[in-house]
Amino acid sequence: MGARGKCDGTGPPAKPAENLPDAPSSSKTEPSLSDLGFSPEETEANARQQALLDKRTHMLKIHQRMGLITTIPLVATVVTSMNAGGKNTSSTSRDLHVALGSLTGDLYGITSYYAIRAPRVPGTETRGQIRLHKTLAWIHGPGMILTPILGAMAFNEKNNGQKVHGIASAHGPVAIVTAGAFGAALLSVSVKF
Amino acid sequence: MTKRKLAAFLLLAVANVFAANAFAADQQWILKQSTLAYHVSHPLHQTDGVSHAARGKGVCHDGQCEFLIAVPVKTFDSGDSNRDLHMIQVTRGAEFPMVTVRTRLPESAATSATVKADLEIQFAGQTAHYKQVPFQLVTQGNETRISGTIPATLADFKIDPPSLLTMPVKNDIPVRVEMTWGSQ
Repeated sequence: MGARGKCDGTGPPAKPAENLPDAPSSSKTEPSLSDLGFSPEETEANARQQALLDKRTHMLKIHQRMGLITTIPLVATVVTSMNAGGKNTSSTSRDLHVALGSLTGDLYGITSYYAIRAPRVPGTETRGQIRLHKTLAWIHGPGMILTPILGAMAFNEKNNGQKVHGIASAHGPVAIVTAGAFGAALLSVSVKF
Repeated sequence: MTKRKLAAFLLLAVANVFAANAFAADQQWILKQSTLAYHVSHPLHQTDGVSHAARGKGVCHDGQCEFLIAVPVKTFDSGDSNRDLHMIQVTRGAEFPMVTVRTRLPESAATSATVKADLEIQFAGQTAHYKQVPFQLVTQGNETRISGTIPATLADFKIDPPSLLTMPVKNDIPVRVEMTWGSQ
C-alpha cells in the first residue's frame, strides 16, 4: 500500500496542501456538498444528538465495567455454594455464601441501572449480538431477584434445622440458570460467534 | 435598427453562455454505486462497517477532474446497532455527520488500469491527507469501476480507540472502496 495519512490537526476543514501535486484545488469547478443532493438534516451538525450519544456511551461504559466487576463475586458465590447446602455444611460457609450473594446482587443492581437508564436513540432498531445480550437480561434479571428470595427461604429453613423444601429447593437451579444467562450475556458482547 | 441591435446582442449573449458552459465543464462524472467498508481489529473481534450511501461528483476542466465523494457517518452498518451507535459517538458523527473525500485526477486517468490519487478526507472534525493511494480502474462503456483501500488510522482523525473489556481496538482502520462512476 505504501501511502500513509497525514493529519492536519483540529480546526476548520483545511484547504489542500500546496506540496501535493494532485491535491484538490480550490477552483471554481470543484463540486460542493450541495451538488450531491443530501438533505440539510443529513449534513447539519446536531449537538443535542451528540450529547445524547456521549451520555449513552458514558453510561454503557460504566455498565460494562460494573458487569465485569460483578462477575468476580458471582463466580465466588457459585463456588461457595458447594459448601452452603447439603447435609455436612457449616453456618460459616452459608454466611460467606450469603455475603457474596448479597454483594453480587448489589453490584448487579448498579450494573443494570446503568443499562436501563442509558438514553435510547430514537429510530434505532436493535440488531446483531446486542439483541442476544438484551434478550438474556430477561432471564438473568428476574433470576437475580428470585435467587436471593429463594436463597433467604432456604437459609432460614436450614438454620431452623429443616431440610430445604418446597419452592426454596429451587434456589440452586434458579441460581445456575441466572449465572449461566449472565455469563452468556457477557460473552455475547465479547466474543463474535 | 434598435431591434436589430437588440437581436444581435441577444444572440451574442446566448452564444457566450453556451461557450462559457462548454469550456467550464468538459465532462462530468456521477457516482452510480458504491461500497465503502471500514475494518476494525480487536483481539476478540474483527468488524467491518459497510455503507452504500455515498454520493459523488466529478467535474473536469482543462484536462483536470475535481472529485468530491461524501457519505453520512450514520449509514455505516457493522451488523450490530450498539456498535454502530458507539462508532457514531466516538467519531462525533452527530456533530460532524459527513465524511467527505476530495481528489483531483487528470482526465486521462480514466483510461488507465491503475491510478494513484492524493486524497483529502474530512472526518470527525479533522482533515487528513493521503498521498498516492493506489486504485484499480476498470472501464466498460460509460462506466468506470474503481477499487482500492485507503490506509486510514484512528490517530489521523484524533479518535480515541474504543475499547472492549479494557482492550482497545487497533489504530489501523483501512477503508475498502469500490465505486462505479458514470460519465456524462
